[in-house]
Amino acid sequence: MHETALMQNMLAIVDKVIEGQQVKKVNSITLSVGKLSNALPDALTFAFEALTADTPLKGCKLILKELPAVAVCEACGADTILNDFPFSCPKCGGKFYTIVQGEDIYIESIDCELE
Amino acid sequence: MAEIKVQKDVKSLNKEIAEKNRAEFKKHNIFVMNIMGSPGSGKTTLLENILPVLAKSYRTAVIEGDLATQNDAERIRKTGVEAFQINTNGGCHLNAKQIEAEYAKIDPDHTDLIIIENVGNLVCPIEWDLGEDLRVVLLSAPEGEDKPLKYPPAMLKTDAVVITKADIASFADVNIEQMKKNILSVNPKAVVLEAGKVNGVYSAESVIDYIKEKIKAKKAE
Repeated sequence: MHETALMQNMLAIVDKVIEGQQVKKVNSITLSVGKLSNALPDALTFAFEALTADTPLKGCKLILKELPAVAVCEACGADTILNDFPFSCPKCGGKFYTIVQGEDIYIESIDCELE
Repeated sequence: MAEIKVQKDVKSLNKEIAEKNRAEFKKHNIFVMNIMGSPGSGKTTLLENILPVLAKSYRTAVIEGDLATQNDAERIRKTGVEAFQINTNGGCHLNAKQIEAEYAKIDPDHTDLIIIENVGNLVCPIEWDLGEDLRVVLLSAPEGEDKPLKYPPAMLKTDAVVITKADIASFADVNIEQMKKNILSVNPKAVVLEAGKVNGVYSAESVIDYIKEKIKAKKAE
């Protein structure tokens, strides 16, 4: 359950981004949550609400978008959505792969009202 | 209304400190290893068995991560190796900042190897880069042969997986060969090793050889 730590890290980044931008109110923060990021969406929302309860961000919405895992075949370079294991490249049957998307969580955007 | 585009990894602040740690370790020629695995998978026991051998070749320090107690650091000190205990007070993983703080207590000019034993947990520690050179995940046989399939990120974001307690697999109805196949089905590039008791005597030869080989490869860079 490291979702609280993830949300603390996210809020620190959000603070830095909006600092000096004359933001009156933050309406929503949009995150892309990778399928292999080891984070539970419900737990992220719960941690976010708990951490922002007594702050100027109270009431701000957390919008979570699922980001699929994408693997690139090391033999032929084709990319595939990785849904289950073992990996087998649909183009050439290759077994070795590199994950290029879906391992992390990204802050996409912050929707806010300016002064 | 205004939309500010950010496109930033939520863990980017941790990543920045991890990269700083990595550069610092490199500058002082220190090899750093991060050991992860479930509570009770045998992380401290593995260390107790490999440290006496590794400490003969490398000046070693251990950083221990646990929610509470000094127990593990005390167990490590009994092997004659210096140990530093982090208590996370409920935190389920170590982060790069905690490692930066412990590293400040270690003399970098008289250290070749730092082994970090992460908090027992097969999910959270995997996600936090500490600045290490090598990641090793322990999986004990009694956890069950299907665990690699249930915890794919732990198998994917590691260099090696060490299966422990294979000597009691038959009592727990666990098939070690299937466990190995499952690890490789998630991550065909993982190095799969074994450590544990064979005929009542603990053996971790393959793990020691693997670590030595990795240290040698880094020094040659």
